[in-house]
Amino acid sequence: MSEPKRLHPISALANFVKQLKELLIPILLFVVVGNSEGYIQFFITLGFVLLILITGILTWLRFTYRIEEGELRIESGIIVRKKRYIPFERIQSLDLSEGILQRPFGLVKMTVETAGSGTEAEAVLTAITKSDADRIQQALSYSKSENQLDMESQVTKEESIIYKIKPSELLLLSSTSGGVGVVISAVVAFMFQFAEVIPYERVYEELEVFISSSLIFISILVFLGFLVAWLIALIGSVLKYANFTVKRTDEDIIISRGLLEKRQLTIPLHRIQALRISENIIRQPLGLASVFVESAGGSVKDSDNARVMLLPVIKKSQIEMIMASCLPDYDLNHSFTPAPKRALRRYMYRGLILSVPISAALIYFFRPWGYIGFAVIFISLFFSYLQFRAAGWNLEESQATLRYRGITKNTVFLKKNRTQSLTMSESHFQKKRKLATIQAMAMSGSGATGGKVADLEQDDVITLYKWYSYTDCDQQEKPLH
Amino acid sequence: MLTKPQKRISKRGLTAWKISGAINSIFVLLVAGGVIALTLIFDWPIWIIGAALMFFAIYAYLFIMLIPTLRWKRWRYEVRENEIELQHGVFIIKRTLVPMIRVQHVDTQQGPILRKYRLATVTVSTAATIHEIPALDVEEAEELRFFISNLARVAVDDV
Repeated sequence: MSEPKRLHPISALANFVKQLKELLIPILLFVVVGNSEGYIQFFITLGFVLLILITGILTWLRFTYRIEEGELRIESGIIVRKKRYIPFERIQSLDLSEGILQRPFGLVKMTVETAGSGTEAEAVLTAITKSDADRIQQALSYSKSENQLDMESQVTKEESIIYKIKPSELLLLSSTSGGVGVVISAVVAFMFQFAEVIPYERVYEELEVFISSSLIFISILVFLGFLVAWLIALIGSVLKYANFTVKRTDEDIIISRGLLEKRQLTIPLHRIQALRISENIIRQPLGLASVFVESAGGSVKDSDNARVMLLPVIKKSQIEMIMASCLPDYDLNHSFTPAPKRALRRYMYRGLILSVPISAALIYFFRPWGYIGFAVIFISLFFSYLQFRAAGWNLEESQATLRYRGITKNTVFLKKNRTQSLTMSESHFQKKRKLATIQAMAMSGSGATGGKVADLEQDDVITLYKWYSYTDCDQQEKPLH
Repeated sequence: MLTKPQKRISKRGLTAWKISGAINSIFVLLVAGGVIALTLIFDWPIWIIGAALMFFAIYAYLFIMLIPTLRWKRWRYEVRENEIELQHGVFIIKRTLVPMIRVQHVDTQQGPILRKYRLATVTVSTAATIHEIPALDVEEAEELRFFISNLARVAVDDV
């Protein structure tokens, strides 16, 4: 496969759709803001769309790839011609995904990731046939095994399935996901956006006859609205996470998921930086949690790649068993040292700083309905209490665990040699009560992730600090510099 | 208890911070002057003038006097063979450990004010975080950069 190859023509369409999506807002603005009279505007818009279409086709025509001398060579560009040669040794992973555009034609999208921390993936082959994808993968693994000179590891590369989502879990996952909020806010935003286009007033006038102060009718309507939003989010989530499977080989974890759009993700074990267990407020009472791994490398845009969902929804009691076969380095079985009782007051204050002004503003501006604002204070106090309860830490030989809650309860497992920096902080008031805050940072993608627990016992924080320090803090040596 | 890191940053750094605080205050003064002028022209209530002056006075005091002084007093650092320790903060005091093997690169940088006072800021980057030691004497900063980058090079490459 050394002669230059083009992508499947469908990628011209993909280019067009992608460009159109990026320019959608300017075009909409142009249409909405400009005066609605006259055809000039229409033709300009049409011209724009045509231009994008032609650009899409030209981009496809100019884009060629080939494999030559152990390199993936890509040439592209309409006006500025680009040549990008990627040596196989530098390729970290080849991720395959099948989108709605690719599936009907039996094609795949191949994303080539290298170690560099650029803002986007090194190369994307939008639509190639599965056999071509196989050939590239084979060429890659062949060159790698040739370099490593240990064919055995290739032979013994067997996969074991670690986790496969059950239908009941899929349903549970989808119905308790936070996607509902996103859909609702999108609907609201949409309604506001197009308030000018849709003749709300006329609609209201006509409806008024039906409604005529019938509060029940409105409530039902609102309820139906929420139900529909929830259903949309549910279906979206089911499509996204169907067939969620985690496999483990000697060196990698392979995650595949999706019904309409199939995605496959390969995470080399040595790139895993930290482990995170998240329990959101709906799932926690049901004893459910999600498990994420933070991995290094990948591109900024591809945030999926940095924090990877390993187990979307799982009984908390099962996590330990599954993870033991998946990532045995991490020790999940231990007890936590909680924050001391006197920290509770500080957690409460912290919540009140935000909630009191909000509720005061609500009460002041929206009387009498604003009195609901009092609820904000109670909710914040409740959350503060939960945050206090969640705060905790644990220390093992080479692993620190921090547990904390913003809205979602997080437990972060950090290895000493994967932690990039550790900070303890104390305010004047914390010092008076002998409390301190600890924060540990690890790498995630090309950015940072970590954990921060506020108001732990000062001595505990010092213990953590000393654990991380490479010098013996008690009998400190003279500074070298 | 933990012993504090030993090294302090240059005393000239305090002067540099005060100057940059003063420059910021000039902008606040301009805004306050504008508000006062508008108040006089449009006959707004007289207390606005007082409030504007008050705001400027407090801002200037905080950013020329109090905060730079506290900040300078709190800043400590120490570079050991295998880690860098920093302590800083005005109201909340932060102590940070950066192991030498996690350091990816070290930079020094200078703005116009720092240059005038022969100072430089050393920036230490790990794979996830960026740490600053501000306002060091230029020679010391250079030496430190050299020192850290030499030690960091020895580090094992396991991200």
